[in-house]
Amino acid sequence: MQYELKTRQVCLFLIALMPLTKLFLMPSVLAEHANEDMWISALINCALDFVTLICIIRLCRLANTNVFGIIESAFGKVGAKIFFGLYAVYFLLKAVIPLNEQKDFVVYTLYTLMPILMYFLPFFALSFYFCTKNLRAVGRAADVLWFITLTAFAIIIPLSIANIDPAAILPIGANGVVKITSGSYSVLTWFGDAAYFLFFAGEFKYSKGDGKKIILSYLLSAAILILFLLIFYAAFTSIASRQRFALTEISKYTTVINSIGRFDYLGIFMILFSNLFSLTMPMFITSKILNYIFGFSKKWISPLIAVGTQALLMVAFYRFIFGIENFIMQYCGLIFIIFGNVIPIAVSLLYKKEKVYESAQS
Amino acid sequence: MKARKAKLIMLAVLAVFMFFFSSDFGLIDVEKTSIITAVAIDKEQSRYVVTAQIAVPEATDTNSENLKAHISGRGSTIGGAIKDLGDLSGWFPKLAFCNLIILSNDMASENVVDVLDYFAKSLRVQDSALVILSEKKASELLELATPLDNISSFALQKILFKNTGFDRDVYPTDIKTFCAGHYSDSHSALMPIVKVLPAGESNKGGSKSSGGESGSGAGSQSQGGSSDSSKESKSTDNLFNAKTTALFKDGVKVGELDEPLTLSFNSLFQSMRGTTFSVDGIKYNGKDTNYLLTIIKSRPKITLKATENKLILDIDLKLYCKTADHNSDYSNAALSLNEPIPDQVKEKAEQTFKANIEELILTEKQTACDFLKIKEKLYRYNHKQYSRYKDNFLSVMDSFVNVTILGQE
Repeated sequence: MQYELKTRQVCLFLIALMPLTKLFLMPSVLAEHANEDMWISALINCALDFVTLICIIRLCRLANTNVFGIIESAFGKVGAKIFFGLYAVYFLLKAVIPLNEQKDFVVYTLYTLMPILMYFLPFFALSFYFCTKNLRAVGRAADVLWFITLTAFAIIIPLSIANIDPAAILPIGANGVVKITSGSYSVLTWFGDAAYFLFFAGEFKYSKGDGKKIILSYLLSAAILILFLLIFYAAFTSIASRQRFALTEISKYTTVINSIGRFDYLGIFMILFSNLFSLTMPMFITSKILNYIFGFSKKWISPLIAVGTQALLMVAFYRFIFGIENFIMQYCGLIFIIFGNVIPIAVSLLYKKEKVYESAQS
Repeated sequence: MKARKAKLIMLAVLAVFMFFFSSDFGLIDVEKTSIITAVAIDKEQSRYVVTAQIAVPEATDTNSENLKAHISGRGSTIGGAIKDLGDLSGWFPKLAFCNLIILSNDMASENVVDVLDYFAKSLRVQDSALVILSEKKASELLELATPLDNISSFALQKILFKNTGFDRDVYPTDIKTFCAGHYSDSHSALMPIVKVLPAGESNKGGSKSSGGESGSGAGSQSQGGSSDSSKESKSTDNLFNAKTTALFKDGVKVGELDEPLTLSFNSLFQSMRGTTFSVDGIKYNGKDTNYLLTIIKSRPKITLKATENKLILDIDLKLYCKTADHNSDYSNAALSLNEPIPDQVKEKAEQTFKANIEELILTEKQTACDFLKIKEKLYRYNHKQYSRYKDNFLSVMDSFVNVTILGQE
């Protein structure tokens, strides 16, 4: 069997791409709900993804085909097409807020004089190109991007730490269960990353000890995110919820920046670059799903539909994005839990049962 | 087929270049962009007047001074006034390099956050820009000439942001810190007040004559010139003093910390390394002698203990000092020998700092501006008692202050 990915690339994917989309708007949304306990809200979601990932690792260990084969053998061809059709809608929805926040970030912080949507549109050309490639391209991107991402954090985090009030995160848990869980629920659109791993199952050769490597990579990725959120709140305290673009704001208050200038933008640009691939992932998976459902003969048709739909949505609903963002955050949390966590866990567990059944038959 | 593909890619690349490098697609000519280094905000009736100090870059191979221009715009909102600046000048006002925002003292009787909120919310300005309150009209402060720099806002930043080795006698505030204080539960914030000293006038006004006052300052240099305050704005040379701090509650100015109080306040919240203070009038052999001490290390500890019956604020300040200078005749040893600080000097310095800190607590109670962050401590470290004391902590709180001056033994 020809494998598209290597275990190393799967681990680096987690480190290089997973924390990135969560660094823009999400911290301020969390702060709005849970104040100084925002990191607990994020930790709950990380734990949920962690459990999902552990289940999928078990699937990876047992699977001898990819997720399309697994679902097809369980539900038949039509059932599988409906199943993946729903997943395509999920990924379409999952990409909306991260794409729009990156767009806003680029046009409002880099083109302050004339922030217009047009400046962001070339991103879709890059996404389209990336989506025409197979899963191997994701692995190669992870091989390169992990270094860029970690270097960016190595620039931004030390600069940010210099001007924080660590006691700002006290008292722990004072906001209560309702506010903390409300924070967790509102940001579910940024989580559910374990769903990507459902599509990685069977695409890399699982060897003994790979599970530990993947788990450690996820823990590192989650630790970077939680550290960023802690620093973010400790830097902004009572006005954290007003900082829509946490990434540009967090590192600029040190004396070094005041004396030398905004060299923290080096790190910011690195994260923006890595994030291009992170943002493309939902469209990438969607294009693979569309290819499976419709079996297009030309490899550019499904990427065109997946990327074109997002671009069209961004252009057509430009005026309504505030309402759309609020709608997704307030009402779509359940969808994100079902597709990002519940179904991947169920698929992993059901597949195990089938294997047990098969071995009992034999 | 391959050639067609290559042509398509070339066309796509060209299209992207068109997006980014054609001014027809909305890019603004750099020559029509003004780089604003500071803004001064005044209020005329109900309209805001924003005066911008604009750095004018010039292509030259000679060593020339920075050129500047001042332009004022008016509007019913701050954003409107800044837009008016651009309309009047034909320059697009670029605020990314604006590091200083000056508010007129007249505006402090109203909620200043109405003004600062624009800068806190807008991505056009970095909210690490310093905020100061001008004793006089804000635009006048911006337009003053000073020997420190041709551009007054650069000179102001020099006295606000002091590097290690200078006295920590100014409390610098940026937009973020001010707004974080204002939007916290205590709704309290601070910013420095900048006073103008015509160069040559000695620093006499406003400071208390206690032993703990700061040693050196910009205004203490004597360079000659007029001391007539009515001629301050006309004078070619002016210096600035930012050692006084304004206290804000709910965005409105409710009081001030004078120079010794600002220094003592800083000793509780900042590293004081390198700061000097004088201890005057020490009797030695029947003769008055004066000491200048340098703080090597400061260890402030502010604890709040809340029980059902009591709320106790305990301030313990330890300052490790070294003699920087004295005019007594008992020693002819070099100051680098780390000679011990006489007990009399230590005692007087301790008394002075203690009195100042007690006055800080009194000022907090009188103004209700929680600049000592007591409510924050109640919330963070005594959360179980927070609801009990959050509205009356200033009236029921007992306080204990202990200051220890340590030196070479």
